[in-house]
Amino acid sequence: MKHLDELTAGMTLASDLIASDGRLLFKSGTELEDRHLTLLKRVGVTEVDVEAGTGDLSDDQIREIEEYVRDFFLYVDPDFAPAIQLFHLALNLTANSVAEGWELPDLNQRRATNVEHMEDLFLIGMGSPDTIVKHESELTSFPDIYFRIKEVLEDESASADKIAKIVSTDMSLAAKLIKLVNSPLYGFPQTIDSVSRAVALVGAKELSTLALGISAINYFHDIPAELVDMKTFWRHSITCGIFAKLLAGTQTGLAPERFFIAGLLHDVGRLIMFKKLPYASTEAMLFARENSIPLVEAERSIMEFCHTDISEPLLASWKFPEGLSNMINFHHNPMEFPNPLEPAIIHIADNMANAVEIAQGGMYVLPGIDEEAWEISGVKPEMLEGIVEQYKEQIDIILSAFT
Amino acid sequence: MGSLFSSSISLRKSVKITDDEFILLRDFIYEKSGIFVDIKRKYLFESRFSKRLAELNLPSFADYIKFLKYDSMKAAELSTLFELVTTNETSFCRDMRQLDAFQANVLKEKIDEQRKAGKLELNIWSAGCSSGEEPYTLSILLHESLKMELARWKINITAVDLSPAMIDRAKKGVYGDYAFKTTPDDIKKRYFSKDAGGWKIKPTVAKLVNFKQMNLNDSMSLKRLARSHIVFCRNVIIYFDEEMKRKVVGSFYDNLMPGGYLMLGHSETLHKISSTFKPIYHPGTIAYQKEG
Ligand SMILES: C[S@@+](CC[C@H](N)C(=O)[O-])C[C@H]1O[C@@H](n2cnc3c(N)ncnc32)[C@H](O)[C@@H]1O
Repeated sequence: MKHLDELTAGMTLASDLIASDGRLLFKSGTELEDRHLTLLKRVGVTEVDVEAGTGDLSDDQIREIEEYVRDFFLYVDPDFAPAIQLFHLALNLTANSVAEGWELPDLNQRRATNVEHMEDLFLIGMGSPDTIVKHESELTSFPDIYFRIKEVLEDESASADKIAKIVSTDMSLAAKLIKLVNSPLYGFPQTIDSVSRAVALVGAKELSTLALGISAINYFHDIPAELVDMKTFWRHSITCGIFAKLLAGTQTGLAPERFFIAGLLHDVGRLIMFKKLPYASTEAMLFARENSIPLVEAERSIMEFCHTDISEPLLASWKFPEGLSNMINFHHNPMEFPNPLEPAIIHIADNMANAVEIAQGGMYVLPGIDEEAWEISGVKPEMLEGIVEQYKEQIDIILSAFT
Repeated sequence: MGSLFSSSISLRKSVKITDDEFILLRDFIYEKSGIFVDIKRKYLFESRFSKRLAELNLPSFADYIKFLKYDSMKAAELSTLFELVTTNETSFCRDMRQLDAFQANVLKEKIDEQRKAGKLELNIWSAGCSSGEEPYTLSILLHESLKMELARWKINITAVDLSPAMIDRAKKGVYGDYAFKTTPDDIKKRYFSKDAGGWKIKPTVAKLVNFKQMNLNDSMSLKRLARSHIVFCRNVIIYFDEEMKRKVVGSFYDNLMPGGYLMLGHSETLHKISSTFKPIYHPGTIAYQKEG
C-alpha cells in the first residue's frame, strides 16, 4: 500500500481500486497517469495498492544489482558499444526482477551443483565429436516425420496441400505449429485454426522449415531432468530464436523465420553432450562458473571440443538444411564462415539471450560479440532496447507453444 | 521506462591493459606458476587485477609488471598474484565414483602389498590441494579402509598448494557447508565436530596430513619430497599448457615408487601428455601406474 503522496505517474495498480462508496474506480493493472492522480485526490482516496516498482529499491540494492550484473560482463570488451548497451539493458531487467521480489543468487548458489552420480559413455580424449555423434545415431533413430518433412522441403514441386497433410499426421507437431503461427512470432491479426490455413498464410517452405526444426527438437524429450534444467535450456534456445528473428527483421533481405529455427537449435550440440557425456558436461558448467568464463570456453577446456564441434556432424547426419546448419555451427565464430552475415545474427542473438537471462537467474558470463561480426550484421546499438522490448512481449506466449 | 541507473554508468571499471602488457603479465604468470592464460581472458584479467593496482596506487599494468619484477616487495606480491590467478574450487569427497574405485582397487592393492612386505607405511602426495578437502578426504578413506589397524601404520599425506592463503586455511581445518556439497552425511558426522566457524576436521584425521606451500613449477623443491606410493593431482593440470603438464607429470613419475599410481581429475588425461604411465581402467576412473 502506498500513500497518495508517494504515488507517481507510471505506477501500476496491483488490485482493483474501490472508492469508499464501493464504486470501482480503476481496474487492477491500470497504469496511473497524472489525470488519475488528480481524480484520486478529488474523491478522497488516501491509500492505493500498487505493484512493486524499481522506485522501491534501496541504494544498497541498486549497488548490489550493479555488481551482480557486472560479473556477467567480465569476459567482454568493456569499451565496446553493444556490450555497454546490453549491460544497461541487463541492469534494468535485473532491477525489475528484484523489485518484483526476486533475490539475487549468492555466490554459493551460483557455484553449487552436484554431479556425483553420472557416468560418461566416453573417456576424455577417447571420443571425438564424430564418434560421439555416430554412437548416438546408431542407437536411436530419428523421427520418421522429420524425414518426410525434409522430403517435401527439398521437392520444389511439392504442393502446399502435401505438406499440410504430412504435418497433420503428427497431432502434437500440428498443435505446436498452430500455436506458433498464432503467436506474436508471426503476428497475424486473425486466428489460424488449421494447418492448411497456416501453410497458406506462412508459405509452404517457411512452415516446413518450422516443422522440421520442431520435429528435430522432439528427438530430445528424454534428457534426464536431474542432469540439466531443461526448462532453462529451452528458454535460452527460444529466447535466442526470438532475438535472431527480431534482429534479422531489422535488415533487408533476410527471411526472419529461418533465424528463429537456427536460434532455437543453436545449442543442439549440447543436448548430445548431455546424453553422452553427462559428467563432463556438468563439469564444464561448473568450470565455467568457477572461472567466470563462457560455457563454450569451459567445454573446450574440459572436453577438448565444444558444442558446435558436435552440432556439425550431428546436423550433417540428419541432413539438416545446410544454410541453417551453418548458422548453428558458426554461431560462436561467425567470421570463420565465408558468408558470415547469417551466423553473425545468431551470434548476437545468443549474447542478447545471455544478457536478458541474467535477470532470470542465468549463470553464465556473456561470450562476447565479435566486433567484425557486429559490423557486418548492420545492427546498431540503439536498436537493442526496442528488440528487448518486443522480446518481452513475445517470450511467454511463444514459450507456452512449446509446452 | 525510466532507468535507475544513470546512462553514464560505465562498463569499464579498470585501467586498460594493452595487448603488450597482457602478454608480459601472462608470460610472467606462466614462468612463475605454469598457469597459462589465453588472450581471450584479457578483459577478465583487467578487472581481476584492477583492485590490486588501485591498492598499490599503480596507474598502469606496465607499472604493475615492473613492481612484480623489481620491487623490494616482489616476493610478497607474488603470493598475491597467485591468489588472483588460481581457482580453488574443491569439496570433500569430490568425485565419489572415482574415490570409490580408488579405494576398492588402487588403495586396496597398495595396502595388501605393504602388508605382505611387512612394511606398514604409505606415502601419499596431494598436489594442488587447495584448502585441504582433498587430502583430508584421503585420510578419511584410509580410516575407513584400515579401521583399528590404522594405529600400527605410518601414514604420511603430503599436501601442497601454490597459494599460501589456501595452505593456511587447510591447516585450520574448519569448513562451511559448501565444502560438504559432495559429502555423505555420515562421513561428515563421524569425522568432523561442530565448531564456531563451521565444522572442524577431527585431530585423528588431520594428524596424517602435512601441508606445505609449494609450486609445482619448481622441480628442485619437488625433488626434495619423500617418494610416494600414490599421487593425487586433480583439477590442477587443466590450468597448465602442454609443456607444463609434461613437466609436472614428469615430476610425479620421478617421485613415485615403482608400481605407484597417479590419480587425475575427472576431465584430465595423460593422453597426448605422457606414455610412460600405464593407464589402468576402473569403472569411474583411470589410475595411471608407474610400472616396475
Ligand atoms: C581447482 S583446485 C583443485 C583442488 C583439489 N585438488 C580438487 O580437485 O578438489 C586447483 C588448485 O591448484 C593449485 N595450483 C595451481 N597451480 C599450481 C602450481 N603451479 N603449484 C601448486 N599448486 C597449484 C591452485 O592454487 C588451486 O588451489
